[in-house]
Amino acid sequence: MKKVLLTLNVNGREHEFACEPNALLLDALRVDLGLTGSKRACDDSSCGACTVLLDGTPMLSCALLAASCEGQKITTVEGIAEHGSLAAIQKAYGDWGGAQCGFCTPGFMVTVHWLLEQNPNPTEEEIRHALSGNLCRCTGYTQMYQAVKAAIEAEKKGIAHTAERTDA
Amino acid sequence: MIDNFSIIGKPIAMVDAAGKTTGAGKYTDDLTLPGMLIGKILHSPYPHARIKKLDASRALALPGVVAVVIGEDAPNKYGILPVGHDETALAVGKVRYVGDNVACVVAETEGIAEKAMELIDVEYEPLPAYFDPEESMKAEADLIHDEKPHNIEKDYHHVFGEPDAGFAEADEITEGRYIANEVTHAAMEPHSTLASFEIDPQTGNPGRLVVWSSTQVPYYLQHKLSIVLDMPMSQIRVIKPLVGGGFGGKSEVIPLEIIAAVAARKAKAPVKITYTREEVFWAHRGRPRTVVDLKTGVKRDGRITSVAARVVQDGGAYCSYGVVTILYSGALLGALYDIPNIRYDGYRVLTNKPACGAMRGHGTVNVRFAFESQLDELAAKIGMDPAAIRERNLLKAPTITVNGLRVQSYGLPECISQTVTRSKWRERKGKLPRGRGLGIACSHYVSGAANSIIRSDMPHSTVNIKIDRDGGVVVYTGASDIGQGSDTMVAQIVAEVLGCTLARVKVIAADTDLTPIDIGSYSSRVTFMNGNATLRAAEAVKKQIVEAAARRMQCDAGDVLMRGDCVWRKSVRGETAPDANAKSAAMEQSAPTASGRVEGQILRGSVQQKRKEEIVKDQMSFEEAVVAAIDFHGALTGTGSYAPPPEARGGKHKGAGVGPSPAYSYSAQVAEVAVDEETGEVTVLKIWAAHDCGRALNPVSVEGQVIGSVWMGLGQALQEEMVWKDGLLMNPGMLEYRSPSATESPEIECIIVESVDPEGPFGAKEASEGSLAAAIPAIANAIYDAVGVRLRESPFTPERVLAALRAKKVGAKKIDLTESVDPTNPQAFREHGGALWYRGKGPARHASDAAVAHHKGAARGNSSRDSRERPSAGGDD
Amino acid sequence: MSLPEFQLLRPRTIAEACEMLAKHADEIQIVAGGTDLIPSLRQRLFEPKFVLDIRGIAEIRGIRRGADGVEIGALTSLTAIEHSDAIAREYPVLAEAAATVASPVLRNMGTIGGNICLDTRCLWYNQSLTWRKSCGFCIKKDGDLCHVAPGGTKCWAAFSADTPPALLCLGAEIEIANANGVRRVPLDGFYTGEGEARMKLAKDELLTRVFLPARAAGWRGAYRKLRVRGSIDYPLAGIAVAYRPANGYAAEARVALTAVNPAPVLVRDAERLLSENELTREVAGAAGDIAARTAKPLTTSALTPEYRREMVRVLTKRALMEVIPSKK
Repeated sequence: MKKVLLTLNVNGREHEFACEPNALLLDALRVDLGLTGSKRACDDSSCGACTVLLDGTPMLSCALLAASCEGQKITTVEGIAEHGSLAAIQKAYGDWGGAQCGFCTPGFMVTVHWLLEQNPNPTEEEIRHALSGNLCRCTGYTQMYQAVKAAIEAEKKGIAHTAERTDA
Repeated sequence: MIDNFSIIGKPIAMVDAAGKTTGAGKYTDDLTLPGMLIGKILHSPYPHARIKKLDASRALALPGVVAVVIGEDAPNKYGILPVGHDETALAVGKVRYVGDNVACVVAETEGIAEKAMELIDVEYEPLPAYFDPEESMKAEADLIHDEKPHNIEKDYHHVFGEPDAGFAEADEITEGRYIANEVTHAAMEPHSTLASFEIDPQTGNPGRLVVWSSTQVPYYLQHKLSIVLDMPMSQIRVIKPLVGGGFGGKSEVIPLEIIAAVAARKAKAPVKITYTREEVFWAHRGRPRTVVDLKTGVKRDGRITSVAARVVQDGGAYCSYGVVTILYSGALLGALYDIPNIRYDGYRVLTNKPACGAMRGHGTVNVRFAFESQLDELAAKIGMDPAAIRERNLLKAPTITVNGLRVQSYGLPECISQTVTRSKWRERKGKLPRGRGLGIACSHYVSGAANSIIRSDMPHSTVNIKIDRDGGVVVYTGASDIGQGSDTMVAQIVAEVLGCTLARVKVIAADTDLTPIDIGSYSSRVTFMNGNATLRAAEAVKKQIVEAAARRMQCDAGDVLMRGDCVWRKSVRGETAPDANAKSAAMEQSAPTASGRVEGQILRGSVQQKRKEEIVKDQMSFEEAVVAAIDFHGALTGTGSYAPPPEARGGKHKGAGVGPSPAYSYSAQVAEVAVDEETGEVTVLKIWAAHDCGRALNPVSVEGQVIGSVWMGLGQALQEEMVWKDGLLMNPGMLEYRSPSATESPEIECIIVESVDPEGPFGAKEASEGSLAAAIPAIANAIYDAVGVRLRESPFTPERVLAALRAKKVGAKKIDLTESVDPTNPQAFREHGGALWYRGKGPARHASDAAVAHHKGAARGNSSRDSRERPSAGGDD
Repeated sequence: MSLPEFQLLRPRTIAEACEMLAKHADEIQIVAGGTDLIPSLRQRLFEPKFVLDIRGIAEIRGIRRGADGVEIGALTSLTAIEHSDAIAREYPVLAEAAATVASPVLRNMGTIGGNICLDTRCLWYNQSLTWRKSCGFCIKKDGDLCHVAPGGTKCWAAFSADTPPALLCLGAEIEIANANGVRRVPLDGFYTGEGEARMKLAKDELLTRVFLPARAAGWRGAYRKLRVRGSIDYPLAGIAVAYRPANGYAAEARVALTAVNPAPVLVRDAERLLSENELTREVAGAAGDIAARTAKPLTTSALTPEYRREMVRVLTKRALMEVIPSKK
């Protein structure tokens, strides 16, 4: 099948590449751009492991056509870290056991990153609700809530930015 | 043994956590090689059929198709158990379940491979198929495997003590049938394998095979590849990248792993195969549907006198781990409570469905559900508190059970008392409003099998350590980290023993070229066995460093302490590390100390070094000590290995090899539920789970494993079930299989109990499986407490709960659960009769199909029921 | 699993879209949020030559107040509806139904137009090509046999969208465009309940807008959904109830069902019962009984038909008791 030339804006950079018109955004990211952080886990667009931000809103890259996303800003899990250091939520997921096998983690990182951007002080119920579109098979979610709360605390204390300042 | 640890027992982030949270970590499907091709597997549409003809010429003619692999390309049989070599890479002559592997297309892209699959012409001759084990056991002809009469994979009949005398002695006896429906691992990462041959420069031909795979058992994969490909193991390298969850689903060799290698050989190029989610369900190897007929006798004081269990497991079409599963189901009746007499009859039966295998809590879970439910029933009969009846039957450890299991550390009493206290059991049990209930249950599990699958005296784990003059500590371990954190466990043990920072330790794991043989991550063996091997390897290198340091400091080796990234004489400087004084424990572990650097130590030899440091010291930096050791010994390496002690390896009876473990973990749980009596919906409000893991090496990980186990048990208890219709899996996807989402996942409070096992590394035992089994009966018992109905079939879906409530309530409208009540008689599936084609004709409509019969005006015997409910005839009823 | 091969068309205006539809009517599928179509394409339930991606038509995205009520562009996301203050205030039953669809991320993608046009679902249909081959296909796609109603010639796949019963309760209308212009029709009557042609939408037509009438503004209501998981799942049964409050009681009431029939349906008999009687527990129960009789669930999804029908009864009764104040 004849490929078409596409330009996608991913994590703030423009990528021009040729891809098939029926390619999913997930496959374009993983195969064509080598951004393998977004995961394919379910095939029926139900699990959230491939979640990316499209113009700032969480969406499933397995249910989007790559060619449909031209002109929009895409943020993948690779775009969550801050200046080469872990964002507060990434650090907290490690510290609190929010990630075990890690396969669903990229989806959760994107989702939680979005949640805290929208709502820096979510209630327990709001956190639970926000995470309800991402499936995890390891953790039972309990330690994720602790991680999210720890990240909120860290953000408040500015810990996440300490690393950044030292680097600079 | 020291108790004042610097890193053991501290909650730390996993050593690979950053790769997971940034997306930089690589799983198998994230890997590519130049010239890599994609493999796609063609699966059988029939549950049982002979392959009469297979013609791939049309597929091969499609541009972009490189090869089509078929069974005859690699006909050698393999299987995870030496007694169960009944699989081939691809079907040879016959398919045995819908989804069985028929051929593999290798093409330039996934799209081309998928198109080519449709062009492979296969002619099948359907055979009678078996979907229910009781039916299957009656089979005389058309067996699933010719060498297995009556389709029985294996049956065992064990008698320990005097079961009949035990029942005669009992004051109360309860008998009942418990059914646990089939569940699967549903790990988030679909299986994936990348296989590539290296060209041998001597011959110029393909030589060594390198395989990257999502596996829990690289060594077994290497072994089976060697069998199927007729290659020496030394010519095969298996590398495990990050693995996205296993739970047992990757604990044996899965068809795609072999097929990818055969395909790479035939296509003469690297081949990657990644399963679709549907294929993951077909590969399966999950927990079999189990029917448990259980009988338990107790004295009036609650003491158990005898237990008899008949267990039938619907094993699917291949042996897989089946023989082990059916043995675990019997063996693990022991070692939790003190049971003097046991009779066990276990049947592992073949059916035309995907093979069942090992799943978290392998073999014990479904029988434990039955046992703990029945114990609750007996407690009610004799008017005893359910927690008290459990406390009445405790083992007196150390002991050897009637079925030959050696129990040393035994934290169950504390687990029970902790959950009872935390849940306010005594204050609240029986006093909650109607519809609310509390239930308690216990479980246990092995910390690794004392006897490996392949019987031999080789160590189960071996670990190497290398320390060079840069001060870096490299650990080579065969343990497979599948998300449970084994790499972190290994790093912690090494850092603790050597008294160095965690940042110094680099773990190289699960690469058969680099790491010593380890039998893999299953049966919760890694912390205990690989941990012990790691401990011994670390002690071996420590000994060398300490001796060298003692020489340098001119003291006794016994006076040397390694701690806080320093080495010093404790008689001079005391117990506290000189450099560690000023630092917090967290900082101590976060980075290697810069102060320990020795000028020029790496580039220059040790002659100048020695001259410069001739003054006798009473403390050294870690690097200095290492360099000193290297100077005297030439190279600093250490090896440690672990084999379970002979006295832990069990009895002498047939099948005695399965069940024995060097140590058992223990768990007690209290579940609190709310039951909606109008809808039958069960809401689990909270679970208190106490787990005896010996010692928590990393409490965050232990809690994660315990909570994850309980949660997975909750899924099996309430909503997970593989639904079958005539051998067709109706829910092969995450959307319909329904593992719990965040919304209905309750708070699980984990209570760590540390019994400090005498043989575990720092006293540690398993933490990842033992808690699963108790969750299911704890919830069943809580439902009984809430609304007085006993659920004997899992999952406890709202319809099953409502049906049970209605059955009990006089005058209420009955809920008729036609489905799954009697799978021996698929004709009784009302409103469904369309897929009876397996009886002989193929995917077209068969004459015995209700639809055809209806058109002929010759409705079957049970059609009156059909027509009543059939919508075309039913109207507004 | 890759997608079948197709050409992607990305119109920017309704006119452009209609032109493309007219040109390729027999070989085109429309994609908006993608949450229904993309998985179906993977399963080869559709193999169109063209896919019309309408996400770029800005004019039909968003919620506007019009002269005779509220107008919702077909591309408005379910999240936007869930969080719209105007809809929560004036048409709460719709806000509630929208908030139960699938999961938060799927609601970000899914649109109201897509939810209205959702394909009907069945365990024998929403499966991969390989899977469907193994059961000899079914009447809805590639076969001539219904596995849930043997002998039947009709497809019983269940209409499984959450918002249409709410829209039916509110008397919503929809705007449909084609190359020749637009037509506006009540949603009630849009669905046929026939498997193949499940809605009265010609192949060259595009659903463009949804209108919530001013007369239904301020109607109180509730949506109750039967599902196994608290998130992600399609409904196994869904019940919307809405009523016009007057003097503190229900002057008019509606009950509508989803996921238990091949189309969403208004339960007319319940409407009559509720308007003629004071709401008591008994009347609510009787309305539930009527709703349960209207439901025709088959073995198209998880949980048995008996149970789902029973839950229609219970949830209808509960929804009514919870939201309708009884006359005191």
